[in-house]
Amino acid sequence: MLRESSKRSGTLDQLNLKGTVNADADSGVPQGSLLTAFAEAAVRRTDALPGLREQIASELGAQELVDAAGVVANFQRMVRIADGCGIPLDEFTRDATDDVRDELGIHEYASAANTV
Amino acid sequence: MTSTAAMFSYADTAWPVLERTAEAHRRSWDMLAAPGEWWTGAERISIAAECRRASALVDGLPDPGPGPAELPEAAVFAIHKLIGDLPNVTHDWYDETISAEGMSDARYIEMLGVVVHIWSVDEFHRALDIDLEPLPDPIPGEPTQVRPSGARAHGSWPQTILPEDLHESEADIYGGMERTSNVRAAMSLHPDSVRWLTDLFDAHYLSWIEIQSEQEPFRVLTRPQRELVAARVSALNECFY
Repeated sequence: MLRESSKRSGTLDQLNLKGTVNADADSGVPQGSLLTAFAEAAVRRTDALPGLREQIASELGAQELVDAAGVVANFQRMVRIADGCGIPLDEFTRDATDDVRDELGIHEYASAANTV
Repeated sequence: MTSTAAMFSYADTAWPVLERTAEAHRRSWDMLAAPGEWWTGAERISIAAECRRASALVDGLPDPGPGPAELPEAAVFAIHKLIGDLPNVTHDWYDETISAEGMSDARYIEMLGVVVHIWSVDEFHRALDIDLEPLPDPIPGEPTQVRPSGARAHGSWPQTILPEDLHESEADIYGGMERTSNVRAAMSLHPDSVRWLTDLFDAHYLSWIEIQSEQEPFRVLTRPQRELVAARVSALNECFY
């Protein structure tokens, strides 16, 4: 979906999908490093979280922080639905992302055995 | 525990939470408190309470205590697994769980629906350093025990309902769409969980209509920014889907 939306927004050539799995990689998405750092701190409950809240509010805006928190909360839920039900990949997703999954090491996740 | 009417007031919090988000959270608490198809309101509150206990255990926080009703041992174990050990949830584990005393596939799915939605609202609060909302009082009543007749095996562990197999009582759950993603259909054995999913999905992320649209959504973060955060959270949870 990230690849598709970057294509639509004309920023596909700047997109580096390694930024989704590697905290040190720049995704190419504007303010992406800050947003992924926030996501990681929220999921991992790290001490960086309070500072990152303030940084996002300061650099992007308070509404953007609330929006980012909503996306984190949504996907903390969606992953549990997917892995709790062992759902298969949708046909479109499987065909469109097989190469990327290899490149990013997603096929190595334990949940891959449940989902393929 | 208390009633939901005055809950989720974000007026005194540090961040500008939208009223539409607050309303969705109040609806979540209303859904939580009501009897379901397979669990009473008190049991549903206990599932939510156990979800908070599991989270506290993972985070090294004091035990917030159990809910008002006793749950089957397999349900308690499953809730802790879904919160704290997600990468090791397997098909064998699922089969054992739904076969255990006091459980079934339908009871598992309704339990999962409660867990993931309470967890999501709580995660929103944790991400913004907002105190967790107290759990509501249960609404009395008995589970209706109605299983959707269109549920079939379609590749997920539990049976699911395809759009063409929907009956009148659950005809709305995919918003009238002729096709649906597997994750949206995953909990269709308990149609109210799909309705709940749609409501909070819209409040926290995007509506299903926005997902399919070519247009930028009417949200403050751009779509690539939202999807980057989504992908990072999925990767941190090692979610293949």
